Amino acid sequence: MVWDQLPLPSRIRSALQRTHLKSVREVLSLPAVDVQRLTGLAQPEVHQLLTVAAAVCRRHAPLTVLQLQRGECRRCESGLRLSVSCPVLDGLLRGGLPVGGITELSGPSGAGKTQLALQISLSVQYPVEHGGLGAGALYICTEDSFPIRRLQQMISEQAILRSEVPPSVISGLHFSDHVYIEHAADLDSLQVCLSRRAPVLLAAGLVRLIVVDSVAALFRSEFQTEDWLERNKQLLTFSTMLHQLSQEFTTPVLCINQQESHGAVGSSSGPLSSSVTPALGLAWANQVMMRLMMLRHQTTVSRGDQSSTLRRLEVVFAPHLARSKRDVGVWREGVRGVPVLE
Amino acid sequence: MTVELETANNHGGGEAVTALELLQREKECGSITTFSSQLDRALKGGLPVGKVTEICGAPGVGKTQLCLQLSVDVQVPLSFGGLEGQVIFMDTEGSFVLQRVGDVAAAVVRHFSLVAEDGEQKDAMQTFDMESILSNIFLVRCHDYVELLAELHLLPDFLRDQPRVRLLVIDSVAFPFRQQLDDLSLRTRLLQGLAQQLVSIATRHNIAVVITNQMTTRLQDSQSHLVPALGEIWGHASTTRILLQWEGSRQVAAIVKSPCCMDTAVQYHITSEGFRDVNQPENSDQPEIPLTERRSL
Repeated sequence: MVWDQLPLPSRIRSALQRTHLKSVREVLSLPAVDVQRLTGLAQPEVHQLLTVAAAVCRRHAPLTVLQLQRGECRRCESGLRLSVSCPVLDGLLRGGLPVGGITELSGPSGAGKTQLALQISLSVQYPVEHGGLGAGALYICTEDSFPIRRLQQMISEQAILRSEVPPSVISGLHFSDHVYIEHAADLDSLQVCLSRRAPVLLAAGLVRLIVVDSVAALFRSEFQTEDWLERNKQLLTFSTMLHQLSQEFTTPVLCINQQESHGAVGSSSGPLSSSVTPALGLAWANQVMMRLMMLRHQTTVSRGDQSSTLRRLEVVFAPHLARSKRDVGVWREGVRGVPVLE
Repeated sequence: MTVELETANNHGGGEAVTALELLQREKECGSITTFSSQLDRALKGGLPVGKVTEICGAPGVGKTQLCLQLSVDVQVPLSFGGLEGQVIFMDTEGSFVLQRVGDVAAAVVRHFSLVAEDGEQKDAMQTFDMESILSNIFLVRCHDYVELLAELHLLPDFLRDQPRVRLLVIDSVAFPFRQQLDDLSLRTRLLQGLAQQLVSIATRHNIAVVITNQMTTRLQDSQSHLVPALGEIWGHASTTRILLQWEGSRQVAAIVKSPCCMDTAVQYHITSEGFRDVNQPENSDQPEIPLTERRSL
């Protein structure tokens, strides 16, 4: 940052050049008294410096919500949603996944979370007018190997799942070419994938959905309880990276989590081997904008020649949604909500 | 009895006011209704203008919902007893969703359309509609703590140009300050400066400042407790602290710090229309639960 480019009097500029401060962000991330001490400037001059620095740092002036609604700011909250390829579930979510922030999908194993994630990895590829975002998905697997055969099966049945979309559109989408699969065995390789691979794919416009299946590695008690600070730090680094990617590229992020029970926020997953997991659970929950839960039921539901164990998809919390749920079936063609009977 | 008020900045020198004048000023400041009559009653009217109020709670309990409600409530026309003010909403988490503001605004307009009685109120309803409500909410999106601090530096100039602002919401202060800031002593000093700025903005511009905070766990006597985040020093930043929490399936708003209100707790719930009372026809004579009878934080 060259201080000459800022509209500041030369006295302030030369004071800045004598310090180690290199950018407006550095100036703004210090308390005003520190800036005063480092530059030796008087308080009104520091105030002037901070105001000019802040104006440079700001992306745009405050907009009214009316202006936002009218689409006057392209990069801001626009109400854009990613459809999940089912009108019943889109109804539950008031459109689909929000394009900013982390959506968490948790539930016990076998509930169908991966099924839904695969389906969303396909729905993102549809053009915007059909509820997608016109780009592919980055699917990061940390647990089992990627269920490639199930994905192929879902791809072959897209015309049935999305019967409202013209067949020419569907046949024009080469689904398997646009699901980028990565394997990350632990937290470190997960960070590497997010910091190296993801930005490249996102910047090139190849991908506009990130799926992490799953984030259980964040909570696994491989360490002793004393390493809680380290675990917490790793969790924050990971979630910060996801947020930055999500915001910079207006990309929805879907994180799958293993959870055995509906406990209150802060309660942990799986065997409670230490008291660390509830604390990490809360730290993680604070990073999540929308939390969904998928549960498996005892009953079955049938459609035509298929039958499926009944599931339930529930909104646990979201800033724009009520705590509601829908019954769900998992079929050959994908995950479909059971229409609500009046 | 004379109280000497010395302002610690270079905007004006010392000023002597009597305690009576201070009391009158406070009464004139007004407050913003929360649309939950029980919570309003517990707060002696609503969220106070000219003061900093903190709302803490676990994820999903309703902090953003209450902020959205207040952002609409501050705009209620004077003829209905409202402040007819504007609001600056600083969103650090991305949880400000257009759809939801629309729900809350529509419900408030519906409510006042139904209760409008005299000519003045009916006239006010001509201009108190969805479009005007959305046009009076200024949204600022901050992606990290540096952007938040930058916006706060620019706020005094903005407020001079927009004198109708009566509410500043920061949702949340915790989120950006708990990320990427490993140096805890720097964080504490930045938060102290922030707290002073917020108090100064609240008093100098006669604005209600509402900030939200997350919860964290603290180990005490080998048991983990849920406490507000950002440390104990941050606890001094606000005049009033409201804690939103789940009690089983109920949602409870507890006033845990306030200079004028007793520690009380009231039940609330979030409906499709916004932040509301829970209707308790059987217990209507005892809606408040004295905090001492509940388990302490």
